Amino acid sequence: MIDLRRIERSYKTGHTETWVLRHVNLTIRPGEFVTVMGPSGAGKSSLLNVLAMLDDQWHGEFFFEDEAVHRMNRKQRADLARRRIGMVFQSYHLLDDLSVAENIDLPLSYKDIPRQERQALVADTLDRFNIVGKKDLFPSQLSGGQQQLVGIARAVIHKPSLLLADEPTGNLHSAQAKEIMELFTKLNAEGTTIVQVTHSEENAKYGSRVIELRDGWLYSDTAGLPQQSVPAGVQS
Amino acid sequence: MQTFVQDLRYAARQLMRSPGFAVTVILTLALGIGANTAIFTIFDQVLLRMLPVERPKELVRFEWTGSFQGSMSSFGGDSRNYFSYPMYKDLRDKNQVFTGLLAAVRGSVGVSWHDQAENEDAEIVSGNYFDVLGLRPRLGRLLTPSDDTAKNANPVLVLSYDYWKTRFSASPDVAGRTVLLNGHPFTILGVAPEGFHSAIDGYTPGVFLPISMTETAMPWTIPRDDLNNHQSVWLTLIGRLKSGVTAQNAEVSLGPLWYSLRAQELLGYKSASPRFKDGFLRRTHLKVLDDSTGFMPRRADLKTPLLVLMGMVFVLAAMCAVNVATLLLLRAAGRVREISMRYALGAARSRIVSQLLVEGGVLGLCGAVAGVILSPFIARVLVQLMTSSEDTTEAPYSASLDLRVLLFTLALSLLVTILFSAAPALQFLRPRLAETLRQSSGTASKRSQMFRKIAFGLQIALTVLLLGGAGLFLKTLTNLRGQNIGFHTEHVVSFDVDPTLAGYGDDRAQQVESSVLDAVRGVAGVQQAAGTTDPEISGDSSNSNYSVQGHAAAEEEDMDFESPRITTGYFATLRQPLLAGREFSSADVKGSPEVAVVNVTFAKRFYGTPQNALGRLISEGAGSDIKYDTTIVGVVGDVRHQNLRDTPRGTVYRPYLQQKHPGGLRFYALTAQQPEAVESTIREQIHRLDPKLVVDGMRTMEEQVNRSVSNERALAMLAMSFSALALLMTAVGLYGVLAFATAQRTREIGVRMALGAQRSSVVALVMREMALTAFLGIALALPVAFVLSRLVRSQLYEVQPGDPMAFSGAVLISVLMILVAAAVPARRAASVDPMKALRTE
Repeated sequence: MIDLRRIERSYKTGHTETWVLRHVNLTIRPGEFVTVMGPSGAGKSSLLNVLAMLDDQWHGEFFFEDEAVHRMNRKQRADLARRRIGMVFQSYHLLDDLSVAENIDLPLSYKDIPRQERQALVADTLDRFNIVGKKDLFPSQLSGGQQQLVGIARAVIHKPSLLLADEPTGNLHSAQAKEIMELFTKLNAEGTTIVQVTHSEENAKYGSRVIELRDGWLYSDTAGLPQQSVPAGVQS
Repeated sequence: MQTFVQDLRYAARQLMRSPGFAVTVILTLALGIGANTAIFTIFDQVLLRMLPVERPKELVRFEWTGSFQGSMSSFGGDSRNYFSYPMYKDLRDKNQVFTGLLAAVRGSVGVSWHDQAENEDAEIVSGNYFDVLGLRPRLGRLLTPSDDTAKNANPVLVLSYDYWKTRFSASPDVAGRTVLLNGHPFTILGVAPEGFHSAIDGYTPGVFLPISMTETAMPWTIPRDDLNNHQSVWLTLIGRLKSGVTAQNAEVSLGPLWYSLRAQELLGYKSASPRFKDGFLRRTHLKVLDDSTGFMPRRADLKTPLLVLMGMVFVLAAMCAVNVATLLLLRAAGRVREISMRYALGAARSRIVSQLLVEGGVLGLCGAVAGVILSPFIARVLVQLMTSSEDTTEAPYSASLDLRVLLFTLALSLLVTILFSAAPALQFLRPRLAETLRQSSGTASKRSQMFRKIAFGLQIALTVLLLGGAGLFLKTLTNLRGQNIGFHTEHVVSFDVDPTLAGYGDDRAQQVESSVLDAVRGVAGVQQAAGTTDPEISGDSSNSNYSVQGHAAAEEEDMDFESPRITTGYFATLRQPLLAGREFSSADVKGSPEVAVVNVTFAKRFYGTPQNALGRLISEGAGSDIKYDTTIVGVVGDVRHQNLRDTPRGTVYRPYLQQKHPGGLRFYALTAQQPEAVESTIREQIHRLDPKLVVDGMRTMEEQVNRSVSNERALAMLAMSFSALALLMTAVGLYGVLAFATAQRTREIGVRMALGAQRSSVVALVMREMALTAFLGIALALPVAFVLSRLVRSQLYEVQPGDPMAFSGAVLISVLMILVAAAVPARRAASVDPMKALRTE
């Protein structure tokens, strides 16, 4: 599904160039639940931004479902991302002035989907996530866990093949975090490929594969290994 | 105190750190204050300021009603404001309500001293003039009743303070010296006090003469015998009420006296009809009016334009206030985190509020100082526009600021800025510390967002109002300037020469004027030259009653016609079309058959066609025993005579050389090159004839036309300037609001873009709210503009108050401005990098 070849990303600050991703080669197959780990500044979020196609300043080759993303212009990338990728954020990033239903509808509103169809999709999603009763509430009226639930509902309403989650439980307590991770497992079981960034070993256990980044390098990858035995010091 | 100094230092540092913000606020305040002060300075002088005399509230003037036949000479305003000299004396001597009653009239005299000669404005006044006004001399002594005794017996004058300073170099020994006035020696008695110009507001005479010397000052009045003539009204009267007497009391008290005096006067009308007698005696009344601000004939003309300007400036000042408030609030909203941090570190509310007040106060003070510096410049431009003259020294209003106005403006601006500063301070009285400190950027409360929207909507509405007004006035000016005047104004220079002011009597005046005409015709580049006693487009009018042979005029029929006396070559010089017959020739002189040329309006009214008018007889005057002695020899096209709004009326032109008592002439010279090129040569040629002859008011005909529309031009120019300022301010305000909103919504925009929003939809998002607000603002402004424009109908010409073109233009310009101002913040919003916006994790 995803094939990254020699992906590099750096930021220039004055005369200094700081590398955040270095020669990253990564293949993610459909249906995988990948956890990206690593210390702060290792390049986890940068990798996620590349995968989300929010960043277009990287070098290398990026194939998404056999489409060469590196050959696309900004508009084509945005269009592809809009159709195939969903994103979940640590701070939920729900829009304060929109109700739960309106927040969930947001990704659909940027597509050419008839209004009635959108309403049906929103109703289905509310039902699927058991938040029908909260559809008219505003984010400030929800708990953190509920907000993240809405965030995930918003991310998957357009049935993306890839769901990216950046520290999805970072602002939640353990019970809420467990709930969210179980939801991810369910979505993954239903066929959604998931890539999550987390610091939590506990959350990583919900995934099928763990990759670790250090100083921009892909430090380790459990792909092809049995669960629970993560080799260290492997550089791609 | 130490805290205050610290706040002051911090405020200065804050302003230095954001110079763009500081300069914008200071300039906005300066513009608002400057324009307001300047307009109010003029407004105050024309409409509010009292005469600089003793107890001005005791002064009253008069206006009468009732029929009248005779000679009326006015220097502006309604002719019912003027009285005959015998009537003045009767009212002065027989009333019980005044401590004194003065009479005055405007005039122009030729003054010469030490080989210098010039025409100067004079005020011809009763001997008690200065006593009634309660004025003390600056030097020497002022006129007294003993200087105003018998006709031509008192050749004395008083100089005005300004004239003494500019022409006599403030010489301390000027009293007792002799000057020639219209060629006659006059003794200078003294100098009027500083700051006093005239009892006629807006008039700035150089000399004051006693009424007994009227015939010397205005020789053309000799035939009228004004000092003894009940049927010649020419004086304005001002009375000082006795203590405890009100204007109403005086009016009641004067009633019987007025009727008895009118009854006496009626005896002089021997052949008056019963209807006239009824109107003269029964339907007559003497009104007593407040005169504390002085009689100003042009006040009515200036009142509406000034009120309109004052209204516009008020709108502009309101916009400045809204803009400054918006900018301060935006800045305050941007500092929520900083202020919250101060609270969190233990700052007391009073400290935070005082710091904000000091910051606002510093801004306000800087704005006020800049405004005060700016206002004299704006006032000078205003005076120039209103007088159509670059020289403001002789304008009836001064561009220098009045101390009261200055203090008022300073106090107002400080008050306003303190209020503006208090508004953001109030926002911090209940800070939401935890919430704001957690956020990466400041947020504004719903209330302040609402304020910004309302402020922006209000600014748009006010801008559309001002732009619409400017459109109406501009169209009026264009329509007026595009009028067909009836003659050609290009390549024509005009000027006055009055031999009587140089001491020439009736017997020599015509000869001198003819010499002047010959001299002008001899100047290289002058193709044609001619003169008239009744200048074109000057506001002047000279009328005579005529009888037309074969036409029995009804009693109420208007048989008064414009009746200029003109020299040969007049129509050729002005290129006024001759439709039938001939111009006057050099043979049309005294003693030869009386002739006249009439205009087409006159010809059509009495004879049907121009051709039919030729050879017909008319006569000046009315009555059954009239002798028709004047033959119509030509018919010319109509002209707009007094001003550009004038509707052409019947006109009878008569030859200047057939006039019994010739006065001064206004000359016109048609030139081959630019008319300005011959001006100095003309002056030299006339000076060569006689150095005492004064060439006055030399200007091109185009300048004359511009002068005649000075009010309209001032309104159009100022309305356009104010609109441009309003546009600029709204643009600045909108830019500020949108830029701030974009900064506030960076995270939201980032989320939307991460969820698939395209740049165009982000731009639409940023613009949508403001577009709606703008729409509401415009929707609010249009009906208000329509109603307000009806109030200025009198200032418009061939433009309907709700002119669709003017207002659609205003809306279009406003929309364009909105788009331009919104372009930068919208572009910034569209280029938000979602990756950066979301980097808060």
